[in-house]
Amino acid sequence: MYRLALRIVGSRGDAEDAVQDVFLTAWRRLGQLNDDGAFLGWLYRTTTNQCLNVLRKRKPHADTELDEQESAAPRTRPERAVEVNAQLDALQAALRGLTPEQRACWVLREVHGRSYDEIAEAIGTTQQSVRGRLARARAQLAEVMAPWR
Amino acid sequence: MAVTSDYVLPCGRDVEEVWEAIDLSDEHTRSCPHCAAVRESLLVLRAATDELVREEVEPPFDLVSRVMAAVRADARRSDVVPLPGDGLARISTRAVAAVLRYAADGVDGVRARACRVTEALESTVSDPVIEVELTIAITADLVTHQAYDEVRRRVLAAASARIGVRLARLDLVVADVLEG
Repeated sequence: MYRLALRIVGSRGDAEDAVQDVFLTAWRRLGQLNDDGAFLGWLYRTTTNQCLNVLRKRKPHADTELDEQESAAPRTRPERAVEVNAQLDALQAALRGLTPEQRACWVLREVHGRSYDEIAEAIGTTQQSVRGRLARARAQLAEVMAPWR
Repeated sequence: MAVTSDYVLPCGRDVEEVWEAIDLSDEHTRSCPHCAAVRESLLVLRAATDELVREEVEPPFDLVSRVMAAVRADARRSDVVPLPGDGLARISTRAVAAVLRYAADGVDGVRARACRVTEALESTVSDPVIEVELTIAITADLVTHQAYDEVRRRVLAAASARIGVRLARLDLVVADVLEG
């Protein structure tokens, strides 16, 4: 959940706060969270919503701060080609260029492998709208990655 | 790469179609410069995405303890019932409910849901007593007649052994019957 939150909100502090709130809510709702299968879906949905709320509350000028925080993430595999790191950085920068909803759709699908159905439920929209957002996100990201062809 | 605003390429295909056929590389994609360019970009994106998936991102080491601290603080704020002893020790009803639900969950075919814990009227400082209303869901195929007695036995045992309070009344409410 921390990884999901970090990818969506883009800053470690906000991701930590979001995860803390999600698990506190889970504790308060223990009695209503009935079966294990649904619990995972609930976690994805609640974490995604929490992150989207954080982003909605955030003032637009906070974006510059994001850049600094994300690039501070340590790269732990020195043997990897510099170019791979550059591509990864470009992808993360490009993700920040998406709308929060597009980014949430894309991260849930491509990084966490959730189904269209689950993503639609997590974001509170239809499968069709998820597909549309994913297509736009993918096209935009591909455009940014074009220089590395 | 020239991607138009609605992501339709000059050849009439859109980016999503190229993505869906990315591993097929049909005749059109091989010969169409627009599709080929987009396909290359998508391949780069896919490779970068794989890196992103593999990237190890560990939450800070103290995140779990911070979450637990928040949970404990929350438990302190919520309703409490007295514990036996000098009358000073109290326990959150949520904590009691969590222990009792766990006990009920141990019975085959039984899933605990809501658990309302209140202090009984007859409760005193020297002899704290609680009342519990436990809502459960049962799986029809798995549950036998003995199951209810078993739930009752385990919940009562958990209350006295794991928490140390006397449970004067336990109402079991079956709220749902699940398909096997």
